[in-house]
Amino acid sequence: MRVISTTRRELLQGAAMVAAAGFAPKLAFAQDAARRLIVAADSEPRNLNPAMIASNGVFFVSSKIVEPLAEASYDGPNGLAPRLAVGWSGSEDGLSATFKLRSGVTWHDGKPFTSADVAFSAMQIWKPLQNLGRIVFKDLESVETPDETTAIFRFSKPTPFQLVRNALPALTSVVPKHIYETGDIAENPANTAPIGTGPFRFGEHKPGEYYKLVRNENYWQKDLPKLDEILYRVLPDRAAAANAIEADEIQLAAFSAVPLADLDRVSKIEGIAVVTTGYEALTYQLIVEINHRRKELADLKVRRAIAHAIDRDYVVRTIFLGHATASTGPVPRNDTQFYTSDVPSYPYDVAKANALLDEAGYRRDTNGRRFSLRLLPAPYFNETKQFGDYLRQALAEIGIDAQLVSNDAAGHQKAVYTDHDFDLAIAPPVFRGDPAISTTILVRSGTPDGVPFSNQGGYVNSELDNLIDRAAVTLDEQARIALYQEFQRRVVDDLPLINVVEWNFITVSRWSVKNVSNNPRWAVSNWADTAIDS
Amino acid sequence: MTSLRRFLSTGEARAGLAMLLPLIVLALLAPVLFPGDPMAIVGQPLLPPFQESALPLGTDRLGRDVLAQLVHGAQTSLLVGLAAALSALCIGAVIGTIAGFGGRVADEVLMRITEAFQTVPAFLLALAFVSVIGPTLASVVFAIALGAWPAPARVARAEVLSIREKDYVAAARVVGKRPLEIAFREILPNALPPVLALSSVIVASAILIEAALSFLGLGDPNRITWGGMIAEGRTVLRSASYLSIIPGIALVVAVLAVYLLGEGAAKARLSKRSYA
Repeated sequence: MRVISTTRRELLQGAAMVAAAGFAPKLAFAQDAARRLIVAADSEPRNLNPAMIASNGVFFVSSKIVEPLAEASYDGPNGLAPRLAVGWSGSEDGLSATFKLRSGVTWHDGKPFTSADVAFSAMQIWKPLQNLGRIVFKDLESVETPDETTAIFRFSKPTPFQLVRNALPALTSVVPKHIYETGDIAENPANTAPIGTGPFRFGEHKPGEYYKLVRNENYWQKDLPKLDEILYRVLPDRAAAANAIEADEIQLAAFSAVPLADLDRVSKIEGIAVVTTGYEALTYQLIVEINHRRKELADLKVRRAIAHAIDRDYVVRTIFLGHATASTGPVPRNDTQFYTSDVPSYPYDVAKANALLDEAGYRRDTNGRRFSLRLLPAPYFNETKQFGDYLRQALAEIGIDAQLVSNDAAGHQKAVYTDHDFDLAIAPPVFRGDPAISTTILVRSGTPDGVPFSNQGGYVNSELDNLIDRAAVTLDEQARIALYQEFQRRVVDDLPLINVVEWNFITVSRWSVKNVSNNPRWAVSNWADTAIDS
Repeated sequence: MTSLRRFLSTGEARAGLAMLLPLIVLALLAPVLFPGDPMAIVGQPLLPPFQESALPLGTDRLGRDVLAQLVHGAQTSLLVGLAAALSALCIGAVIGTIAGFGGRVADEVLMRITEAFQTVPAFLLALAFVSVIGPTLASVVFAIALGAWPAPARVARAEVLSIREKDYVAAARVVGKRPLEIAFREILPNALPPVLALSSVIVASAILIEAALSFLGLGDPNRITWGGMIAEGRTVLRSASYLSIIPGIALVVAVLAVYLLGEGAAKARLSKRSYA
């Protein structure tokens, strides 16, 4: 009862204020305030600066506030649609890239957006601080700003423009220079309350409860956004997300927040749509990381035996309930530029796996065991944990006794990427549209200890390293693609890691939400045209 | 034997035994009844119970036999319950005896430590311990014992305080026995019965804490546990609720059985006193 009376009082007060101020027409606007989208959030990143931390957990919230130079698109040229940049081109020699920027854009605090902001973001944040930018922009020497709407990137070594282009959606979130130029960037208060140019401003964050984003009235695209407010309700329990959307407490659950096992049931409910598109540019790969310091695993025959022991169809069918595809190699099948199916394959064949292990000299003892090793499944997804349970059994079939070691997320990262305290690990890296962004680092040697999702298994193959380095400076697109196809063949042949399956997430939304999944990175795009019918 | 008969004459004890004995037998026979790895994938995933005679309780999300897991899980649950209770009782009895018999300084120090442990909820203590040390069977047992020893320690101390004034203790001292010998030979055995009465409570709570730890993913991942099974089933709670319900029932039966046995023992002791 109290709740009702409070609401009524508030309503009366509100009405009184409106009447007193003589803003009668605003009443209609007050009704518009119902255009609120409530979304499930399963994690609460503390640092919401996408220019620093290019990860989907951060983008999910901050991509509505801070925009990149260009966004992925289903029908745009080269799969891109303009955002803060309206045009881009690379020089013949690969030493510069020119961006024409949008004019008339203002930051949420009213200051104008100019090329100086792009130059600052690139030189001070993307290149030195960003997890992915460190690789792609490593040769970026300077950014020239001849006028307020032109930014020219100068590279010290030839940098393929194809790579720069493919990196635009995820790596080029632009943050305001005037906010970040003083003080330590990592400690800037705008990291927790971001200021950008996007269709929504940061409202507030109540830890454990919600993030609130509110409409940017001065968005550069007229009549957008179509929502007044986005509320991210923190629901770490996945079963709760399914129930909440059924009860219409939330209208959208992205990133498979509704467990795969519930999809079939949920899809039959009137008013709820299960959308499997909108994640094409965010393909996750399920891989087995191998510690090549173990003498057994340094033997190619053993690695091939393990590859033969994994029944990929079973993993797709049982663990992913059909919402995944068996991998052929380090580039996912849905990639349109680099993928090749012309690679060696390791069909599920237990007899062959056993024969390979016998051949390698690891015979079964009286208990039927050849050797034992430690298996560390990443705790980030249900599916990675379940695949850990499955892999243990698959390895038991070929006489390898795998002991599961479970850790929390921080413990897992430390064990695998810093301490190298593992034999096999299960990881879900993301393919981001170009192998040079976050894929070659998984096998290239020489990455310092502690970098997550990089080669920390002690694998060193100078031929493969050379190939990766050559591809990184090859400017001709066709030649570059050919090198990355060779890269795929070499990786699958030598198995520095084993690619098992690749998957895209699933969005569950109420029918009232419009324009869902209309670009290949939809969940982490700006949602300017997302609308809700009340 | 009369005390055993008195114990068995109580309804609680009989009901408790009727539930616990089959569980113990199943747990002991697990390697015979379900040889091989209970985590092996044996059939089609998510097979409901009572569909196939070879898999009477069906299969879980990966196609593993639920019955085999349940029986092997009984082994883990009972093992952890008993081992944790045994270690808690041992630690508690020793510390209680030293505190009660060792003089004022030892008493003060040990009882303040005991209180410090008592102020932290046993489950939180276990949670923190396991997440730091890492989940293995031994660490889980120790983590549970860590939160369970203060109660037996306090009971043991109270008993020792009254026993140490008894004539036979004075006699032992006069005979020239050393203090440690007196404490552990003369006093501890006589102080034990009330401490042992706590065992059923400790076993029951140890089984529950183990299940809760496994449910949160802090059990030994290489062993089947009921809590782990319930957690596994939670993701498919709406479509295959049997995966959570079956181990849940097993858990209820085990905890109830241990609790009833404890009640039976308490009743038997009471009736003995009223006869005397």
